[in-house]
Amino acid sequence: MATVETNAAPIPEAKSFAPERPKMGVVFWTSVSWILLVIAAAVLADLLPLRDPDALGIRTGEIQRFESPGVNAWFGGDGQGRDLFAQIVHGARPAMVLSAAVTLIGGSLGVLIGVVAGYVRGRTDAVIMGIAEIMFAFPAIVLLFAVGAIWGITMAILIPVMAVLAVPSYARIVRGVTIAVAERDFVDAARAMGASQSRVVIKELLPLVALPAIAFGFLGFGLVIATEGALAFLGLGLEQRTWGSLIAGGQGLIREAPHLALIPATAMFLTIMAFNYVGDGVRELIDPRPIVVGRKRRADGPRPTTASASDALLSIRDLRTSFPTPGGVVTAVDGVSLDVRTGRTLGVVGESGSGKTMLLRSITGAFPVVGVQREGRVVVDGTDLLSASPASRSAMLGNEIGVISQNPLSALNPVRTVGSQLVEVMRVHRAISKAAARARAIELLEQVGIPRPGRRVDMYPHQLSGGMQQRVTIAIALANEPRLLLADEPTTALDVTIQDQILRLLASLGDEYNMAVVLVTHDLSVVRGWADDVAVMYGGQIVESGPTSAVFGDPQHRYTQALLESTPRLDLPIHSRLAAIEGQPPSLVAPPAGCRFADRCAGADERCRSEVPVLERLGSVEFRCWHPGQGEAR
Amino acid sequence: MAGTGSAHLRTGDDIVLRVRDLVVEFPAGKGQVVHAVSGVSVDVAQGETLGVVGESGCGKTTLGRAVMRLQDARSGSVEFRDHELTGLEGSELARKRRDMQMIFQDPVSSLNPRRRVRDLVREGLEIWGSQPGPFTDARVEEIMEAVGLGGEGVGERRPHEFSGGQCQRICIARALVMDPEVLILDEPVSALDVSVQAQILNLLEDLKADFGLTMVFVSHDLAVVRNVSDRVMVMYLGKVCEVADTQPLFDTPAHPYTRALLASIPGHELGLSDASTLISGELPSPIEPPSGCRFRTRCPLATNRCAVEEPELREVAVGQFVACHYA
Amino acid sequence: MKLLGRLIVRLVAVAIAVSLATFSLLSAAPGDPAAAKAGFAATPERVEEIRSELGLNDPFHVRYADWVTGVVQGDFGTSVLNEQPASKLIGDAMPHTVELMILAQVIALAVSIPAGIYSAQRPNGWFDRLTGAMSFGMLATPAFVLGIYLAFIFAVRLEWLPAVATDLPGPFDDPVENLRQLILPALTLAAGMIAIYVRLLRTDLIETLQQDFVLMAQSRGYSRRRVLWRHAFRPSAFSLLTAAGLATAGLLGGALIAETLFAVPGMGRLAVTAIFTEDYDVVMGVVLLLSLAFVIANFIVDALYAVLDPRVRHGNR
Ligand SMILES: Nc1ncnc2c1ncn2[C@@H]1O[C@H](COP(=O)(O)OP(=O)(O)OP(=O)(O)O)[C@@H](O)[C@H]1O
Ligand code: SF4
Ligand code: SF4
Ligand SMILES: [Mg+2]
Repeated sequence: MATVETNAAPIPEAKSFAPERPKMGVVFWTSVSWILLVIAAAVLADLLPLRDPDALGIRTGEIQRFESPGVNAWFGGDGQGRDLFAQIVHGARPAMVLSAAVTLIGGSLGVLIGVVAGYVRGRTDAVIMGIAEIMFAFPAIVLLFAVGAIWGITMAILIPVMAVLAVPSYARIVRGVTIAVAERDFVDAARAMGASQSRVVIKELLPLVALPAIAFGFLGFGLVIATEGALAFLGLGLEQRTWGSLIAGGQGLIREAPHLALIPATAMFLTIMAFNYVGDGVRELIDPRPIVVGRKRRADGPRPTTASASDALLSIRDLRTSFPTPGGVVTAVDGVSLDVRTGRTLGVVGESGSGKTMLLRSITGAFPVVGVQREGRVVVDGTDLLSASPASRSAMLGNEIGVISQNPLSALNPVRTVGSQLVEVMRVHRAISKAAARARAIELLEQVGIPRPGRRVDMYPHQLSGGMQQRVTIAIALANEPRLLLADEPTTALDVTIQDQILRLLASLGDEYNMAVVLVTHDLSVVRGWADDVAVMYGGQIVESGPTSAVFGDPQHRYTQALLESTPRLDLPIHSRLAAIEGQPPSLVAPPAGCRFADRCAGADERCRSEVPVLERLGSVEFRCWHPGQGEAR
Repeated sequence: MAGTGSAHLRTGDDIVLRVRDLVVEFPAGKGQVVHAVSGVSVDVAQGETLGVVGESGCGKTTLGRAVMRLQDARSGSVEFRDHELTGLEGSELARKRRDMQMIFQDPVSSLNPRRRVRDLVREGLEIWGSQPGPFTDARVEEIMEAVGLGGEGVGERRPHEFSGGQCQRICIARALVMDPEVLILDEPVSALDVSVQAQILNLLEDLKADFGLTMVFVSHDLAVVRNVSDRVMVMYLGKVCEVADTQPLFDTPAHPYTRALLASIPGHELGLSDASTLISGELPSPIEPPSGCRFRTRCPLATNRCAVEEPELREVAVGQFVACHYA
Repeated sequence: MKLLGRLIVRLVAVAIAVSLATFSLLSAAPGDPAAAKAGFAATPERVEEIRSELGLNDPFHVRYADWVTGVVQGDFGTSVLNEQPASKLIGDAMPHTVELMILAQVIALAVSIPAGIYSAQRPNGWFDRLTGAMSFGMLATPAFVLGIYLAFIFAVRLEWLPAVATDLPGPFDDPVENLRQLILPALTLAAGMIAIYVRLLRTDLIETLQQDFVLMAQSRGYSRRRVLWRHAFRPSAFSLLTAAGLATAGLLGGALIAETLFAVPGMGRLAVTAIFTEDYDVVMGVVLLLSLAFVIANFIVDALYAVLDPRVRHGNR
């Protein structure tokens, strides 16, 4: 029963071959080109038709002292008239050699250590991470600086020292990824098939660890360039000419010849930026997300116009809720109308992605995504929440309308006590003293069946069990004695016996406070057991609604029938074959033109595929199906 | 011994898997242990489906993993076709384990996202291909067809291009390539929608017939378990409460916990009287489970005896074994 | 308070490791302090005398123990510079460095908290994209490069601020001049942190704003401000706190650069000078104190974390 329905926006299935990876932008490719250019400069400096970087221009008369950048010398000249452009091109080599060596050596060591620590865990891991932590405690540049001052700075010293300093960062990142990966079931699956340890590491772990490590390697590469520059700047440069030494040399002349420091500084900045950008791009490759391919355009069909039931506490008319996603605009709720009267419980059922949760969120207006558009009317006790002023809307939410959500732990603020959250909801909406609110909070906790409420009131959510947490969210929802209660999968995260306790509690409280209740669930048996009326959702629409006994007893819509027949039941013979619904739910970006169930419906014909079914009524049941009522009654 | 005992173990040539007094504990820090599985015995006959039900944390998953030796047991034995599995290591374990395969709850997490579907399904072939056995590419194709993954280009795609139900099909195919005798399924349909769940359940029933499989089906969903199982074991806090053939277990549940579980299913009238089935409170901590009968803190029938004496499984009707003093 | 005990044990362990590493590093340095102290004309006997006076002939662990004992009592040895106690030089320099770091942290937090929050409220809006691009640029700019840019723009071109802080008055003697001189080095230090903080806070807050408990707070009719500050911000502030602790390491290294670039008479500059004059007692003292500062900063962060986050307090995380 625990179909995991995420509260996040339903991302429609990819319907065709999704492109493997996100498209890399212009900046990415510019960065790649720049890196290639710098590498080319580093490799080919001697072969290029450049001036000799050491030729003194003031002697030869070719370049003036402190000559400004121009046609003669692109980047100008220094105090002796040496060509800055040639110097920069030649200066690329040491930095690239150093960075490449450090990144390769430090990176591979770090990856190795990280994979071992993350896969073996236990004591090995603790020791490795302990050492890493101590190494992190050393400010790297201070250490390098000390080492450099004592032994001098040469490639032979800098490469091993910087590589060692780089190891902990790689190890830490790779260890984190490895742990996350190793926890996934596919590692166990491989072991179950008899894969050896080394095979698991090489085939299953390394490919997943490699990309984050490479991404980090690009960032690390840039960091080495910067560090070498900083050392040179402090007077501890390599003996070779580097960008760092050029900047250091130019820095003192910033008034006379600013180009001497600024141009190499800019070269260094651009290079580091390029490496960072490429690293970032590589990181984006890590989670290949399906790109949704849209389908036919939706034809507008006639919308149901239910006569307004004036005695309804909640009355929704033509509600349409949509929001942008990378794959297009998703219309999660598409033309929904429903009424709930005081004292009744409406069960809303449907599969994940059918729009149940979005329907509830459309009433409260609290969405996890940005850019949500709502149209239609949501009238609660005479007030249309969609057109009401923010103040009057706020005054109703949490006050006349109580909300309970699926995962009680995440629905409670983790860093505040149960009591403070209960007190808050009372004090925001009514003038009540802190002490009185606290007394009432304890009373409420008792009322929802929490033993020893006087102690529990000062506890944090994580100190309570799942069932208790859900009781707390119910207490918060009921604190201001609402007239309408919206419950989104209130028991999905709970065990059956606890679910039973919570549903009983909700039913008795519903009676006691005489509330109208909307109970969203994917579990048909919950609706069957606890809802007076039911609305079946499919593809963002209500396809059938009416009193529970009528709809479940004699379903009219083909989807309702199929849903009922595909659910295992306790009163059918053992090993009875279930009527599976083949295929997948429709895309909410570009839903099918006619009936949204047509692709999966055994009774679909041409008309079903092209014309939106009109709303029909049979007794107290409303439905939208061209060929209703031909299933067996259940 | 609590909810323990082995009166329900059967003898006979057709017993494929036999678990005896299995104990699995996890360290919980400060010298404490989580008693995840505490002396469970059970057997599965050739071609049978054993359903294992119970609430979250009762040790269902741990039992399955320990049988697969993905988890080391503290004591007890697991016999596969009269061969002892406990104690085996290395390549010998790998070879024996081949005859049992496991399907996990989260199909998406069970598939390495970097690999193509065909490579995933062929994995067993890659590991064992050089050895004698049914490991051929033709078989891979046949199995992909059998689980409904036939068709052009499917093998070239990667897991994220598939829905949860299709991913579960891939997992099933991967396991079947190993030509297992026993399939251990840990909540194989819990992450799926009802309509897709029905597809997978039907598929499993078909495959069971076609490939002559024996199955252990772990789930918390009673209706699903009832539909697929021949025999059912009810667990509570690491112990066995009741073992019986499916029909009697659901028609005349004898253990108070089994009755409570069934009565909790909404909208289902079992004719069980409320007072005896309404259980109060919540699951106690598996670190310090109650003495005597572990269910006693929530049991409507509990007496002093239940606190001191641990009930043993005994036969209350033909083929129905219950661990309760008063059943 | 078990947690506190654990943290203290870790603090001490890291302190020992750091001091040991620093000490062995510098005792491995070439050059003979005894000879340096004795001067050019000294006889070998005299050098030997000084060597035993300084305890340089003792085994490593004895020398280390001596040094640590001294350090704990506030004795960092003697500087070659006028034979002053190293502790005096360090003590004179420390306040400037501390002030610089505090200033940098304050600037970084003051800029990044509002920017991060604003970005998070409209992800991918123009402001968010702007701060995103700027953070990216700032992250790619090494401190000394940024310092040069800043000096060029504000000191050379605009002449608004001094390029050096050589005669830095105390913050209480002449606060305006003190700030004028320190603002460029502080900005140099702060830039990298701003970049990190803004992105971190933004990402974290976007995630928090989508969480159930925030949505629930909204659907209870709470005002935007209440939802943001009472519900969303606090959990996100934790990661900011951690980042601030970790950033201290970068800050220490950055202080070396910024102080050298702008001639601030702080510990970084002291260390640079000391290294070039082979003044090892001073170098050791500075390196040790800088490393300890980092360790202590992270210790404080961990402790704060435990105080602020009940889940950590109860060992649930
Ligand atoms: N790796 C582990 N380390 C520590 N404790 C564990 C571990 N795995 C399981 N447990 C504990 O062992 C007990 C049994 O867990 P198990 O996962 O087997 O239960 P389950 O019946 O499968 O539950 P669910 O229905 O939630 O899947 C639980 O208390 C659980 O917290
Ligand atoms: S309208 Fe047609 S396609 Fe839709 S459910 Fe009815 S019969 Fe099926
Ligand atoms: S009656 Fe006693 S032995 Fe039987 S289930 Fe209840 S507590 Fe256990
Ligand atoms: Mg489980």
